[in-house]
Amino acid sequence: MNTSTAHKVIGLLFGIGFGFVLAAANLHEYSTIHNMLSLEEFDVFLLMGGAIGVSLPLLWLLERAKAKTVLAGPLTLSRSPVKRENVVGGALFGIGWALSGTCPAPALVMLASGAGLAVITIAGLFVGLGLRDAQTSRAAGTVITGDGEHRDVVASR
Amino acid sequence: MLSAVLPDRLPWYLAGPALGLLVVGFFLFTNQPLGATGAYVETAKTVRRLPGAVTWRAFYFVGIALGGLLAVLLKDDGFVRRKGYDVLLDPMDMNLSLPVASVVIFVGAVVMGYGARMAGGCTSGHGICGTAQRSPASWAATVSFMAAAVITTFFVNQI
Repeated sequence: MNTSTAHKVIGLLFGIGFGFVLAAANLHEYSTIHNMLSLEEFDVFLLMGGAIGVSLPLLWLLERAKAKTVLAGPLTLSRSPVKRENVVGGALFGIGWALSGTCPAPALVMLASGAGLAVITIAGLFVGLGLRDAQTSRAAGTVITGDGEHRDVVASR
Repeated sequence: MLSAVLPDRLPWYLAGPALGLLVVGFFLFTNQPLGATGAYVETAKTVRRLPGAVTWRAFYFVGIALGGLLAVLLKDDGFVRRKGYDVLLDPMDMNLSLPVASVVIFVGAVVMGYGARMAGGCTSGHGICGTAQRSPASWAATVSFMAAAVITTFFVNQI
């Protein structure tokens, strides 16, 4: 799939915005995530709640208003039923998140902030994602994708 | 110097809604969730020049790092070359040797990547964008990874 220049520009700009907010809130520091998951600080939970609290009602209203997106037609939200993979994969993700102290987007910010060990985290993420893809491509038809993943990725399968 | 334009830590009541607006804005342009897992997958495909790679995800991937660097440069400390993972390495804290810490981080990251791909999203994709779409699959994944991460951290803290 070839993507337009507009898509690339928007992707870059929103990537910059996303990374900026993550770094501004210190989510790229191991200690921030560790203190959150140790239930010693609740800022990150509140941050996620604040993000959902703003985006959930806005997306709901935009969906009801049948909003059109700029680059990709009518706004379509997805609401998939729960599958076993969501729960099992989520649990594995949580274990890994706790051990490595960062999740996929903050890992990139961690490296950009000068923390060298983040190279190991990012390399490990690529390996883990690749392992799952290798497994699912061998057993075609068992691929599951969730509503958290990019839908153009889903469509290209 | 640009330092100290940003506080050391932007409070959650500003950062959270800002992130929420980015999620809504991204949907309004691209009809896509502002996740990170798919960006890794498509960046790997783009770099390997595989057919079907969604190139603009690679731009987004690079953007996350650039935006992070920009924010760091606007803080007092700025860009500091260091190892990171202070809690793991600090003698007053977990006091792991560098090789042991590296293995823990790598194994954790592999499990995290595998799980994110299986679950169909990560903290941003399921945890914020999916829950904001009112997706049952995302709410289930989010509850699952939060619980697993808190339990794992509890055991890590016992060591």
